[in-house]
Amino acid sequence: MLIELKDVNKTYNNGQPLHVLKGINLSIDKGEFVSIMGASGSGKSTLLNILGILDNYDTGEYYIDGRLIKGLSERQAADYRNRLIGFIFQSFNLIGFKTAVENVELPLFYQGVNRAKRHQMAMEYLDRLGLADWAKHYPNEMSGGQKQRVAIARALITGPKILLADEPTGALDSKTSEEVMQLLSTLNREEGVTIIVVTHESGVANCTNKIVHIKDGVIGQIQDNFSHSASAFGTATIMK
Amino acid sequence: MKLDYDSFREIADALVRNRSRSLLTGFGVFWGIFMLLFMVGGGQGLKQLIGSNFEGFATNTTIMVSSQTTKPWKGFKEGRYWNLTYTDVDRLKMLIPELETVTPCISTWGTTSQYGENSYSGNFRGVYADYVNIEEPQIEYGRYINESDVLQERKVCVLGKRVYNNLFPGGGDPCGKFVKVGPAYYQVIGVDYSSGNISVSGSADESITAPLPVVQKILNRGSVVDLVCATGRSGVRMSDLEPRMRQVMARQHQFDPSDKQALFILNTEQLFSLIDNLFTGVNFLIWLVGLGTILAGVIGVSNIMMVTVKERTTEIGIRRAIGATPRDILSQIIMESISLTLAAGSFGIVFSVLLLSLLEKIVAATGDSINFQIGFWTAVVAALMLTALGVIAGLAPASRAMAIKPVDAMRDE
Repeated sequence: MLIELKDVNKTYNNGQPLHVLKGINLSIDKGEFVSIMGASGSGKSTLLNILGILDNYDTGEYYIDGRLIKGLSERQAADYRNRLIGFIFQSFNLIGFKTAVENVELPLFYQGVNRAKRHQMAMEYLDRLGLADWAKHYPNEMSGGQKQRVAIARALITGPKILLADEPTGALDSKTSEEVMQLLSTLNREEGVTIIVVTHESGVANCTNKIVHIKDGVIGQIQDNFSHSASAFGTATIMK
Repeated sequence: MKLDYDSFREIADALVRNRSRSLLTGFGVFWGIFMLLFMVGGGQGLKQLIGSNFEGFATNTTIMVSSQTTKPWKGFKEGRYWNLTYTDVDRLKMLIPELETVTPCISTWGTTSQYGENSYSGNFRGVYADYVNIEEPQIEYGRYINESDVLQERKVCVLGKRVYNNLFPGGGDPCGKFVKVGPAYYQVIGVDYSSGNISVSGSADESITAPLPVVQKILNRGSVVDLVCATGRSGVRMSDLEPRMRQVMARQHQFDPSDKQALFILNTEQLFSLIDNLFTGVNFLIWLVGLGTILAGVIGVSNIMMVTVKERTTEIGIRRAIGATPRDILSQIIMESISLTLAAGSFGIVFSVLLLSLLEKIVAATGDSINFQIGFWTAVVAALMLTALGVIAGLAPASRAMAIKPVDAMRDE
């Protein structure tokens, strides 16, 4: 198992204690394309933060590839985030004063890869995502879809074991959403990247092969979806 | 810490993105370092300017002048006049072996000297050859009074700079020419260009100096001398010898040794230490004001960095999420702070150097060659200090930036 969560609990102590995750048990194998679905407040974002080592959990165990992720130093956490995990955010989270290629290079910069090498790699990844011509453009000169593809290139460049997407289509229209989801599923199918998508849109979840429903901090139902017929709105499109 | 071209570009980007803010913040540092260096250079120049008045004077010189007594002593009433004599010279030498040179001097003001149709009214003084130990001449032509001149009572003289310029407006070597001073003619043997403004017996540049026995006879002075100058052997503090000198003179001339006004003693060592103390005080003020101004500038930098970090919460969060360690963030903020401080400070250093050299030129135009410019190492130390201050300024903002968690990037939408 690539990812294993055993009875993970998380409580926020802002004023009134809020028990967000109440014993999560989840296993995700290498090469899976999973979505985590739930309403807002269900704890899906918290789960994603824990999966991405952006946040820590109170009790339980979390393993990535057999490594226990618990009580890490900031330095180690940063290193794991850099090497094991690629992030795709709802609002793209590109750095506005850097060009597309510089944004893609950034994770390699923190790995200490030399300038020429990382530039060349960044260009390769942009090219694969069809954005080579846009390499020198700033994020505010690009469309939402293009920005998300830059963000995906940035997430992929370190060759991570897991790609975590937090509402990757949340800021996109339905057509671009579909393109992005197709891109993700192609990456999963052809390159075997393990992808976890957090979403509240059933259309988006429907594009994935496995849907994990989370409700009130517990996992309700895990649904295999290889037939892609889970959407209530039909399989042809992502409803917005 | 990873440092390459991109790190520097990132820093430059960060500073240039808020151009006017960086400029205004940098101005505080610029002005602080400029003020400090300019004042340090100015203070040093001023000290030299004042010091040039004592040019050529031995720092451990004591000058004794007789004066009216103010206290009754051994049956004498107060208000009595007495005079220093030649015998006092030997007496001092004998009784106070710590003295190296003891030499008398007589002089008279308003003596007209003439050469051809040029004349000048200055000071005419007689000295021994060892007077050079008290006030060092800067011989432009010829030589100074020597032992033979004194022993053989030659009628020779050394001209001060201003006297020479007036008597020989055409310039040239005047040695061998005869100059009329008062009633008699003297052969010129040298020209002294020293321009110290200390007036022991008239300042050197408006004096005509001749062997003492000659002047003594011409002026009909008998055994009376105007003043006695003394220097101590090396390592001797003249102020420590002062009470003994008073004792010796008081016993000989019958006045109260505690009567400070009867014997006026000028101690150049005290004078120099007075000036030194004055400038220690001035320097203290300069550093207080200068460092205060720099500190205000640096606090400004720190403040603005604080705001910048707050503004860049999302950006820093993203960096953290994609693998920046807290140390990366720390070094980035500190480097930005150092760059801003150092860049602004460098302009301050350059500007103060320019202004000081301008000042030097202006002063040089008036005839004094004074060194206002700060030393190279002062500038280097200033630059190092700026770097250190940059680090300090960056500490608080950097610690705030380090506290930003990657999740903040997503929260701060």
